[in-house]
Amino acid sequence: MKRRTFLQLGGMTVASAFLAGCQGQNEKLIPYLIPPDEGVTPGKATYYASSCSGCPAGCGILVRVSEGRAKKIEGNPRHPVNRGRLCARGQAALQELYHPDRIQQPLRRSGPRGSGKFQKISWSEALDLLSDTLKELQQEPNTGSLALLTPQLTGSLATLTGVFMRSFGSTHHLAYELLAPDWLRLANRYSFGQPDLPFYDLAETRYLLSFGADFVENHLSPVQYGNAFGRMRQGRDTVRGHFTYIGGRMSLTGASADRWMPAKPGSEGVLALGLARLILAGSLHDKAALSNSGIRPEELLARLRNYDLQRVADATGLAKNSIVEVAREFATTRPSLAMAGESVAFQSNGLEAVRAIQLLNTLVGNLNRPGGVYPASADPSTGALLRKESSFSELLALIASMRAGKIKAALIKGNPVHTVPPVTGFQEALDTVPFIVSFATVLDDTALQAELILPDHAALESWGDVVPLAGSRTMVYGTMQPVVTPLYDTRQFADVLLATASRLGGPLAAALPEESFVEYLKFSQAQRFSSEKEEDLELLWVELLSGGGHFAPDQAPEKHYRWASSAVIADPPTPAFAGEANKFPLHLQVYPSTAFHDGRGAVLPWLQQLPDPMSTVVWGSWIEINPKTASSLGISQGDLVEVTSPRSSLRLPAVVYPGIRPDMVAIPLGQGHHGGGRYAKDRGVNPLTLLSLLNGKEQLAAWNATRVRVTRISKKGDLVSAGHPEGSYRGDLIGI
Amino acid sequence: MKRSWFVGGLIVSIGTIATLLAVMYLLPLDLTERSPVQPLAFSHKVHAGDNGIHCLYCHRYAPKSTVAGIPAVADCRSCHLFIAPDKPEVKKLIAYWDKGEGIPWIRVNNVPDHVYFPHMMHIRARIDCGICHGKVATMERISRTASLKMGWCLDCHRQHKASIDCWTCHL
Repeated sequence: MKRRTFLQLGGMTVASAFLAGCQGQNEKLIPYLIPPDEGVTPGKATYYASSCSGCPAGCGILVRVSEGRAKKIEGNPRHPVNRGRLCARGQAALQELYHPDRIQQPLRRSGPRGSGKFQKISWSEALDLLSDTLKELQQEPNTGSLALLTPQLTGSLATLTGVFMRSFGSTHHLAYELLAPDWLRLANRYSFGQPDLPFYDLAETRYLLSFGADFVENHLSPVQYGNAFGRMRQGRDTVRGHFTYIGGRMSLTGASADRWMPAKPGSEGVLALGLARLILAGSLHDKAALSNSGIRPEELLARLRNYDLQRVADATGLAKNSIVEVAREFATTRPSLAMAGESVAFQSNGLEAVRAIQLLNTLVGNLNRPGGVYPASADPSTGALLRKESSFSELLALIASMRAGKIKAALIKGNPVHTVPPVTGFQEALDTVPFIVSFATVLDDTALQAELILPDHAALESWGDVVPLAGSRTMVYGTMQPVVTPLYDTRQFADVLLATASRLGGPLAAALPEESFVEYLKFSQAQRFSSEKEEDLELLWVELLSGGGHFAPDQAPEKHYRWASSAVIADPPTPAFAGEANKFPLHLQVYPSTAFHDGRGAVLPWLQQLPDPMSTVVWGSWIEINPKTASSLGISQGDLVEVTSPRSSLRLPAVVYPGIRPDMVAIPLGQGHHGGGRYAKDRGVNPLTLLSLLNGKEQLAAWNATRVRVTRISKKGDLVSAGHPEGSYRGDLIGI
Repeated sequence: MKRSWFVGGLIVSIGTIATLLAVMYLLPLDLTERSPVQPLAFSHKVHAGDNGIHCLYCHRYAPKSTVAGIPAVADCRSCHLFIAPDKPEVKKLIAYWDKGEGIPWIRVNNVPDHVYFPHMMHIRARIDCGICHGKVATMERISRTASLKMGWCLDCHRQHKASIDCWTCHL
């Protein structure tokens, strides 16, 4: 070919490709085959008010639905907990509905356990299998061989499961969550004689002291507190609230503070009592509040004489002048507020530390005061709105029963195989249970072990009601309603329980005569408003659904905190750690990831792709190491390291992070699933496998009291971060 | 000598590129078909013209939604079970229904995604359908009569004293 011809042809090809690119294709317009139902207008969205079930905070949501498809979730502006805001986990609930790996019909295991081999069966076969197995258990003299494992439950589902288990004759209902605030309830019972969770009036406070409470990310009701924090900083014309964060790792909450005090792990209780001593010694306490609480300042001061400044500074590793400054500011700025969080409570002396922090609030008169701390809305007295939460000791008791072979069948909603630390022996104990039923929506770690999988509806297809956890002072009752027709042949967990009850007959069918959960919900509404007439009940029901629940902002709450006269100030014991200091020099902190909570968000790709706010890491696990420690171990950003605890070891990439103490490392929770669909499967590591248990800590587990050793393996850690390779913060601003 | 050739070549090539860019800017690069062949030779002239069926009888969402809506296959079928069931195009329609498929109509009038065009507001303002869609009742096959460019929208908005704020259409 001649050169000229070649150029001509080349030019023509380019030009035609260029023009073809501009040629807009006429779109297709494909009509419905059958016109849509009444109420569906093409091009016009419908909004449904419902409640988020992504975490116990129970925020109100509005779901935009177009032509029968859920398109977008936002916060419900009228809901008193989240006031129209919503976190990433709530927004991502949409992907649970459209997850490509959802289980679309009941499955029965066909291969060995954990192999992931299942065969599809019909609902009638599945329910027959379930009710036949349960019937056999009922024939036995001891009917306590059925266990029900769920996450924390509220509202009608809590009553329904309670009635189901009671009528079956089994007491083994466990509603355990790793991050449940049972430590706070326990501390409250000791300090105030009542287990009600606190509601912190963050928006109105002027001085906030957080002892490891990461309220922007995870603590209790994060959307409510994130919003309240904004109002505390910018919501008032003349006051900008001050915020001091205490804790060895700078979380996103810590990064929002004015002052960061990286106290040694396990020393927070000593710090709180040291602050109390300084306040009392300087006579900065609230005298009226103390006499109200029945505390004599002189006696308390004498009691705290051991907590002199030198000792506190040595124990915490903090500068003396900053401790004195914080004590003075905390006592003289009114109203002020002290919060205790998980990283403090999950130490071996966590209970005493949390109580010492509560003493601080009592000392300066923060109880039951605007800008202080109130008991959160009490669960309404009617039995229909119970809350079911189980403590760590109940988990251990169930594991012991399983080991003893007393449990013959386990119904499991949720994913405890992933979220319960293996040191408890839960996973091995579950292996001994002959019949496991899972209600998973995707094939998660627990469903892989199951004999029978009865897929639950996605949250957006479900009925329900929610009593938000500690998000408001006044009564809040949220409803959940299906916003789309179920996509697959799935059934709601509660409906399956009701169907099983009617198949089993006897006292169970008599106790649960309703045919569906929505009927059960209506029935519990009828009980709540028993004074109303029949026709008004239907109206109330419609009002509840259209408003997303019942909120009573004017109803004056009656409960108050009062320091229990019998409450003794306990000395926080010297923190104990698993692993000898010479072999395992670093303290391991595991913390709930912003995106995944305890791991339930890991199945959703939006959340996998959400960069961690501090390290900007996406799609994986990482370990945070202080630059000084990293350089002494020869580790640089992105290296593959091995983390060894007395129990086991893991390999994951390192993130060199200046916002952590040099004697600490931290790994986020939530990754390391063996199942969980294509986005979560075999991604990252589960740091819970590293954790050890300390003896004598059966009441409250010390999840942050394990020591580890870190060694560099290679340069290839495969770390993926979305932003600047060194994170979203300016490293030169963080000093430790 | 060589230098002048080089400079001359440079000027010519820059000039060519500039001319090309100018032509691209000025030419109407909207090359979508104005009157595409539809999968089914549906005649608006027969329906809207000869038989005088009102637009909203079939495009029933126009008064209440952003989109006008095209009738579902079931709607077409419900009449054509009785009216002219033997015509070849009607047989095609019934074949679509039997297969359980929607008819893949080709879109004729379209505005880009960054333009919010609500049919219901224009109907409410008593704008005749024909102002945008032309004399549909005389068309055997639908063709686009308006340019659907922003200037064309604005002319009409000014004429009718409708809002010409950016946010009216570009939400």
